[in-house]
Amino acid sequence: MLDSFVTATLYLADGVTLMYLMLGVLVGLLFGIIPGLGGATAIALLLPLTFGMEPEQAITLMGGIMGSSAIGGSVTAILLNAPGTAPNAATCFDGYPLTRQGKAGLAIGAAATASSLGGIVGVVVLVAVLPMAKSLVLLFGPPAFFMLAVLGLVSLTISNNNMLRGLIAAALGLFIGFVGYDDMGGTLRFTAGIDYLWDGIKLVPALIGLFAIAEMIRLMVEGGAISKVDRNELGEVKGVGAGFKAVFKHPRTVLSGSFIGTLVGIVPGVGGTVASFLSYSFTVQSSRDSSQFGKGDIRGVIAPEAANNAKDGGSLIPTLAFGIPGSAEMALFLGVLVLHGMQPGPLLLIEREWSLLVLIIALLLATIASACVIAVATKYLIKITFIDSSILIPTVLSVALVGAYALEGSMGDVIMAAVFGVIGYVMIRLDFPRITLVIAIVLGGMMERNFIQSMLMFRSDWTGFFRDTTSLVIFLIIVVALALPVIGRIRRRVRNANA
Amino acid sequence: MKIKTALLSAVAGIALMSGAQADVDPSDTVSIVVPYGPGGGFDRAVRGFAPYFSEALGGANVITENIPGAGGQRGSTEVSRSEPDGLTLGIFNLPGFALPAILGEEVGYDLRELSWIGRLESDDYVLIVAADSDIQTLDDLIAVDDLIITSTGYGSTVLAALQITASELGLAQKDPIYLSGYGGTTDAIVGLIRGDGQVSMAPVSSVTPYIESGDVRGLAMSGSQSLFEDVPTFAEAGYPGLTPLNLQRSIAGPPGIDDATLTQLRSAFMDVVQNEEYLEYAKSIGMNMSPMNGADTAADISSSFEFYERFSTSLQNPN
Repeated sequence: MLDSFVTATLYLADGVTLMYLMLGVLVGLLFGIIPGLGGATAIALLLPLTFGMEPEQAITLMGGIMGSSAIGGSVTAILLNAPGTAPNAATCFDGYPLTRQGKAGLAIGAAATASSLGGIVGVVVLVAVLPMAKSLVLLFGPPAFFMLAVLGLVSLTISNNNMLRGLIAAALGLFIGFVGYDDMGGTLRFTAGIDYLWDGIKLVPALIGLFAIAEMIRLMVEGGAISKVDRNELGEVKGVGAGFKAVFKHPRTVLSGSFIGTLVGIVPGVGGTVASFLSYSFTVQSSRDSSQFGKGDIRGVIAPEAANNAKDGGSLIPTLAFGIPGSAEMALFLGVLVLHGMQPGPLLLIEREWSLLVLIIALLLATIASACVIAVATKYLIKITFIDSSILIPTVLSVALVGAYALEGSMGDVIMAAVFGVIGYVMIRLDFPRITLVIAIVLGGMMERNFIQSMLMFRSDWTGFFRDTTSLVIFLIIVVALALPVIGRIRRRVRNANA
Repeated sequence: MKIKTALLSAVAGIALMSGAQADVDPSDTVSIVVPYGPGGGFDRAVRGFAPYFSEALGGANVITENIPGAGGQRGSTEVSRSEPDGLTLGIFNLPGFALPAILGEEVGYDLRELSWIGRLESDDYVLIVAADSDIQTLDDLIAVDDLIITSTGYGSTVLAALQITASELGLAQKDPIYLSGYGGTTDAIVGLIRGDGQVSMAPVSSVTPYIESGDVRGLAMSGSQSLFEDVPTFAEAGYPGLTPLNLQRSIAGPPGIDDATLTQLRSAFMDVVQNEEYLEYAKSIGMNMSPMNGADTAADISSSFEFYERFSTSLQNPN
């Protein structure tokens, strides 16, 4: 391992390789910032260009993209309330209110720092558990996946101020998740004879609609610029440094976020959206004073951002141990490996150890490099929030719709984004949580599929869920998650009674 | 080898001269449609092939076009309905793209009507169990009463291969549970290793890393020759009916490409698959090359189609 580590480090110390890394970082940031485009799109677009490269150069380039896109995405989430990539959705909760208070610099600084730290924790955990990666992946079978989906949905509902609205949004999300071809039942559901719906409602166009487009509709109705603080009053843009410091004032939030991110990353298919949301909701639940969350609490930016960069390290575990992609980006990354003659699978780690260490170190460097780039660029990026809506709205709308189209070159995705834009705006007006809808779309399909698989495995005996150790452990976490708010309320009541 | 190539280019040259303007000129752009997104096995096969094909076509621009959607049907329908001028081709797999028609779904193409350019890959299927499984032979497997089979979902090639195998081995009468719905072939293999089920099946290229790492063990494989030590072919194990079971990736254009253009494309294809440099490269990106010329591919597609059609009653959704 040490040999390979040295080889990999020396390889990366080369000027050309570093150039590829920086190219990856810049492309990743740019694609991350634009709502709809994300790391996966960037990898898909650059994949053919890696043809002539050395395998490790291609890996470095991809590492640069993967390590940076989520950091880019946080900028848009904070400044425009439109997550640049899906995992940044939870960053909107507190990031955007901070922007409206004129504290965008603080939020971006904190997001970039938390992302870097999360990325470092994720990579450290990855390297630490790599020798046991295989057994770790084998812990999660269909029953455990099902329980995880339930945990996700439970934490969604309890973290809403209004549980009924949360439940309605979750139900709507589950329903949307049903649309499309069900390959277990072999039936088409709610496709109304439209070919496009065969593949179901895709997450990215839905996200673009629900956040970017809906936000622009709202801005159009409200008028003015995003920042409610006068530019002249604000003076020089400050706060990036303060954001950096704020992160170190909340080490617990960073650590819990990073670990939640890494853990969720290990489970294939769950992804960063759920990781960052779970981290956010855990932070809200476990904080003594949670009154400021949703109104601009900096911890609400730190928690999801630490998680969504930590998840990259985690999601490499199933990818490297078995060749099962932990996320859409990882699926494409496996394609890059194959294209360069590396067969994903259990042997990859043994045969190409140093190449994979190149990736791991590249990921690490990319998170740090992109945080620095963002910190420097914040001064200019913040100006977006002072732009008048008559210029901002058409610009963001066109970029968002192009992003929807770029994903697969399909007009259907553009139409879907527009439809979700309207749905999103209605949800804003009626005060329904949009993120709940998104996560229910992600988890719904997974929950159903794994429930049916589990029941097939157990031969219809539901007690099997409690005989599978992993599934049982997650079930106990669900019980604790449900009990926490109740216990908190009782403690507060006792304290008040004593006072 | 050289003479053969020279002869073929001569044929191509003649084809070029004799043909009408429908021929593919060096100034033309040929797109090969991949009916899935970038990064998968199809994409890899086409991207590796395209530059060599371009060279064989006298420098014509050959691009890879990803048209994903509807489980591969969007891209393949688009190819089938395109102008038969030789400028739009696509990659198809069998049985994958034959299944919908055999299962009675409406599809926008008929594999038997397409203008086949040639076959790139052919992968045999291996019936697998976890390395620590008690099942050592096909007979052991047949003796198991409550069998759980891990597989990808309905409409996938792995499930179809498993159903055909179960039907030939007589497992179908025991009404095994098909634990379908895994996201991909690899997920189904990992499910098997984890012990979600007792048996599964996968193409050689997907399963080789797991056999080599000692996580799974092969019970038998299709095809006429076994590629693994201690794994018999189905024929050797007494089930010759399963020998034709395989997964092929071939290039085709829409129905009705005129003879001159088709000849040109087919000979360019043969140039590529006889190029040592290409073959070496294809191997390095993990392709299981098994080239076949266009005319033979067309005949083979028809007979394979019939093979799968014979099992159409066994191929209904098990869940």
